[in-house]
Amino acid sequence: MDPAEELPSMLWGLDPIFSAFARLHVTDILHMRESCQVPDIYFYKSHPIHKVDVLGTVVYKREREDFFCYGDDGTGVINCLCWKNDPMKEELDSGKYGGKPSDDLQHSFNLAVEVKKLKQAQQTHFRLEIGELLRVRGQVKTSRQQREMMASTYYKVNDPVMAVQIEWMSDVLQLYREFYDKPLHLQNISASESPITSLSKATQIIKDFLEQKAVSKFRPYDIQDILQPLFPSCPEVAPAGQEPVAGSSTCQQLHVLLKEALQLLQDEGVVYRKVKSQDEVYFVTAQDKDLLMAVKDIIREDSKREKYQEKGCHILHILSSVRQRHSMNVSKAVLELVLKSLECNSDIISTRDNYFTYFII
Amino acid sequence: MLPAVAVYYFPWEVNSGALQDGESVRTFGSKTNFAHFSRLTQYEPEKSRASLTTQHASKEHHVVINTSFVEPFNPIIGAQYIVLGEIETAQGVDGVRVCARVLNCVDGVNIALLQKVINEQRSFFRERRPDLWSLLQRSRACL
Repeated sequence: MDPAEELPSMLWGLDPIFSAFARLHVTDILHMRESCQVPDIYFYKSHPIHKVDVLGTVVYKREREDFFCYGDDGTGVINCLCWKNDPMKEELDSGKYGGKPSDDLQHSFNLAVEVKKLKQAQQTHFRLEIGELLRVRGQVKTSRQQREMMASTYYKVNDPVMAVQIEWMSDVLQLYREFYDKPLHLQNISASESPITSLSKATQIIKDFLEQKAVSKFRPYDIQDILQPLFPSCPEVAPAGQEPVAGSSTCQQLHVLLKEALQLLQDEGVVYRKVKSQDEVYFVTAQDKDLLMAVKDIIREDSKREKYQEKGCHILHILSSVRQRHSMNVSKAVLELVLKSLECNSDIISTRDNYFTYFII
Repeated sequence: MLPAVAVYYFPWEVNSGALQDGESVRTFGSKTNFAHFSRLTQYEPEKSRASLTTQHASKEHHVVINTSFVEPFNPIIGAQYIVLGEIETAQGVDGVRVCARVLNCVDGVNIALLQKVINEQRSFFRERRPDLWSLLQRSRACL
């Protein structure tokens, strides 16, 4: 009943029950409380509901242009507005078909009879009498202070031995126990996402920075400042080691995050370390002209050799050549990025999967 | 006016104390609807009266039905029927009569399964929804 307890309407879509036709007991549909945020949305425990599915016996019928009837499922009675559709309204025309002269072609006479049978079959599905079992799916509305259902789909159910009703009752109890009576768990989603998002955020920040500034090479401490916004409480690091004890944990977190982000970028091939030494210098693949030229030269020279003329050079062959010529630490991921950019520039073409050759215009 | 909900009752519950008191019905001004099922043993079309019988705990329970609302009605003696209707107390007749609004033949119904499901539903309401259970109980008790 407390509006503060209600789930905000932005999050209603996260509840799968909201999008489904909920199979509630009629008594629950009648007693659900209406949401304070949006009219015609109701809450059963913590779940927002606006469409329901009911199976019940017709106990009262009032027929007009639309078609009201009251359905009773043993726990409550609800008014269902079942709109008549066109096949029912056309029943007055059915007399026309019966009056066709019988000396017509056999073919067309049968067609008229079949159409009439079809219309009759349609009508029996939608024509409801008191005592018949009705399945209705539709939206819940409140009108004149009475809860009712605006049927979007309804049909008569043939249930000679009550098997359908029995199954329905036990299914509904099961649904209650497993879904409707259990509260929605949303907190878990946001909690589990946070360790992942901070890493992906960090890598994205670094990538954007490298692209914008067209950085060709850098050292870790050059870019650690750009991760500062992720750690608002971390103070400036004084080289003399005069950091306050309280702030050091967040600074350490920042260093750890930076390291992880750089490792991830290396794995992706965005950056690589040409020489593995004490001095951590990272080269940015996209901006590394030397690497680009080296790969291009390798492919051009090898493509002239008879061995590679037909098929092209396999990526692993190119990789080993690059490692010999340029740097031992070039990874396959880095090479793939380079090859992609060369291909986009139409310097090389790929003859088949993982094979490349120099493109001669 | 919406008709009142027809709660499921077993035939042996109909004739027991809770449902017998006709006085309370009239005083409160409401008649309770209920649904139950048993075998048709007798039908008197001139009096619009049918009789449903069930065996339970080695005793036979009879419920008398007023069929004026559901006629013309094709009776199959010996078949299982489910009746939805209002309890009414008729003078000069022992026990209660049910004025049937719906009388459907459900021959072949799995009685044991139906009983089991009804009991499950009742225990569900008793445990999980005590507020609604008392609502349904009240409608049952004000007969």
